[in-house]
Amino acid sequence: MKKVKVQSNGWTDKVYYVTRLGTILGLVMMFFPAANPGYVCNLINKNLSLFTTAISYDSLTTLAMRPMDKGWVDKSSFVTLMVAAAIVCIGIALQAVAGCASLGNLKMKRIGNWFGLGGAAVMCGGMVGLYMAYESFGGSSRPEKVYNIMPNGMYIYAVLAAVLLVANIVIILFQPRPAKGEKCEIATPYKLFLMFLPIIAFVFVFSYLPLWGWRYAFFDYSAGQTLSMDNFVGFKWFTYLFQNEATRGDIMRVLKNTLVMSGLGIATSWIPMAFAIFLTEIKTGWFRRLVQTFTTIPNFISWVLVYAIALAIFSTDGFINSMLTEITGDIHETNYLLSDSGTWFKMLLWGMWKGTGWSAIIYISGISGIDQQLYEAATVDGAGRFQKMWHITVPGLIPTFCVLLLMSVANILSNGMDQYLVFENAKNTGAIEVLDLYVYKIGIGKGLVPLSTVVGMVKTVVSVTLLFLANGVSKLVRGESIM
Amino acid sequence: MAKTKQEKLDLKAEKQYYKKHKKKTKFTVGDIIFNIINYAFFGIFTISCIFPFYYLFINTISDNALVRVGAINFIPKGIHFQNYLSLLGAGEIADAFLVSVSRTLIGTSLMVVISALAGYLMTKQELWHRKIWYRFLVITMYFNAGLVPTYLNFLMLGLTENYLVYILPAIVQPYNIILVKTYIESIPAELEESAFIDGASHMKIFREIIWPLSKPILATIAIFGAVGHWNSFMDSILYMSGTPELQTLQHRLYIYLNQTTSLGSLMTGGVSSSTAGAVMEGVMNSKVIKYTISMVTVIPILMVYPFMQRYFEKGIMLGAVKG
Repeated sequence: MKKVKVQSNGWTDKVYYVTRLGTILGLVMMFFPAANPGYVCNLINKNLSLFTTAISYDSLTTLAMRPMDKGWVDKSSFVTLMVAAAIVCIGIALQAVAGCASLGNLKMKRIGNWFGLGGAAVMCGGMVGLYMAYESFGGSSRPEKVYNIMPNGMYIYAVLAAVLLVANIVIILFQPRPAKGEKCEIATPYKLFLMFLPIIAFVFVFSYLPLWGWRYAFFDYSAGQTLSMDNFVGFKWFTYLFQNEATRGDIMRVLKNTLVMSGLGIATSWIPMAFAIFLTEIKTGWFRRLVQTFTTIPNFISWVLVYAIALAIFSTDGFINSMLTEITGDIHETNYLLSDSGTWFKMLLWGMWKGTGWSAIIYISGISGIDQQLYEAATVDGAGRFQKMWHITVPGLIPTFCVLLLMSVANILSNGMDQYLVFENAKNTGAIEVLDLYVYKIGIGKGLVPLSTVVGMVKTVVSVTLLFLANGVSKLVRGESIM
Repeated sequence: MAKTKQEKLDLKAEKQYYKKHKKKTKFTVGDIIFNIINYAFFGIFTISCIFPFYYLFINTISDNALVRVGAINFIPKGIHFQNYLSLLGAGEIADAFLVSVSRTLIGTSLMVVISALAGYLMTKQELWHRKIWYRFLVITMYFNAGLVPTYLNFLMLGLTENYLVYILPAIVQPYNIILVKTYIESIPAELEESAFIDGASHMKIFREIIWPLSKPILATIAIFGAVGHWNSFMDSILYMSGTPELQTLQHRLYIYLNQTTSLGSLMTGGVSSSTAGAVMEGVMNSKVIKYTISMVTVIPILMVYPFMQRYFEKGIMLGAVKG
């Protein structure tokens, strides 16, 4: 393949920065409800973004069913709004095509420019449509119930459309013409970049964009409201965590549960290693493979299924009770799951039942990597079975063990919530509630968005710090990074 | 590499030596006790891992009346498969099963294709600002905005109560991309270079060289992705609370497990033909329904497990190399 050189085409290349930046801005704002130019009437949901306005008529009209039935507002206004929003979105999409093409050679750019010009024109048309929708909402028969609003997004998008239109015209007028017979080409770095661009977009939307939600921590927010300087409360929720008696009690309890359960997990993290060491002592091949196969199965079922199994074995009509009934003749109907004793220990056991066989695999392959000559030499020296385990196998596995240990120390606050959510019941709720479950309950269950965001933020910051500390320790001790 | 005659002879002698030597090995009393304890421990642990599945299974195929009184503990009695047929005929479970299967298939295949492509692109030094994008990708493994901000993000994007919430967020998996990238780096660069000289484009190289050669790693991430999709229920609980017809099988199971009241409504509500409904009512008690749904949820995993085991194990080793 021929390498295509990056060529410069004079000052019009600089204008592309304007169009590209404008396009990215337009694209991102398409998904922000706060910048929705389609929020032209009080009947429209505030949490709709321009994109949702354009694609979903149902969510656009959720609040407007009754007013539409009563004839306060015309259906055509909503249709106009939706079509206009869709046109704006199409315009931005065309701009995006132009932005991608602008990374190519002159010929490619020229083609892209027409897309850009068309896109900007379409955007302007869409803006006019949005304004028409705005006007039509103004003409309601019940102005106190239905009134129009001029959203900030309208100004932003109008300016954006105008700037893009001017920039595209400037580029088309002043860009040099491509040589005759030139083919459409993009320089390799940009071509690869364009292939990678969708992945960047996905990562941005699903991993970085949620961070924008951290702003809720600084507002007095409850579902359905909007954020404004009126309900900005600064660090109120951070101090609330420690000053409010009830919340502080909850946090302390939840933290204790989290740390104890993670601590128990760390304290028993040598068990998979022991499991692997003793399993390799079994010399019957088929039996070893059988054990290995069956003990890894529980790792691949979900916690819901583990709970289903727990019910089948330990509940009132489960295996244990029916066995006891059969043996003793008396009726046994104890629900072993519904008890508040030893919850931490039980959770640890379930975790071990699910994970030990799987975690052992890494050590089993570690053992097969240990030099056999060491064992032979030890045998010659008269070492027994346990001496060989302790002086050869264990030291051989310690590096792996340390890495996993450091990782689990770094994850001490995040022990997941699946297990605790499914096993929770009225009796054990006090001892089973870990940090993740607590955040879920106050955030989704009770709708305390700011408070749960604060807890989540603190947790993330602590976890990242711990991870870096663990990494530092690893570098210091082993001279190797765990990341 | 052909072995010389002498080497072959050596090998033979060695084998014979070990054979002889092995026979001569004597077990001390300590060895025997150790072995008994060791075998017993692993035997019991293995049974504890596999018996619950067996117990569930025999209870779903046995006579329902016997199951209700708890008479089925080790041996199935009155074998029939009506429970499965009835349950998959019931609308809700069939819907949930379809949702789970489709999200697993679609989500996994998209994730694999994207991971392969991204992994390949990440090996290309020419990629514009490759290092920046690589870090941009990798950093996301170490932080998490938290449950509620993520929820609000999906709300803002209109992904709640929407099937796409199962698919889209799970497409780009940085960890899998790194695995694929590492694997592709181990493929001899000459292969790609020669294709390049012959005038193949990047897409063509990816399709015809990289994709076929990296199949082992792609199979591994596909299996892990599929298991993750099949088992995931938090997303269904969080984002589908208002749309029962889009809830996954795991979520349905969770709901039924927590229902203490009669589950008869599930049957009467979902079954279209009245005869099937008549069969169901009173015959399938809540215990049997719970067990059968559990089995329907676990059977796909148990069925693919034996075939996939080597990939599972390969997967954890890849994690170890990285970790």
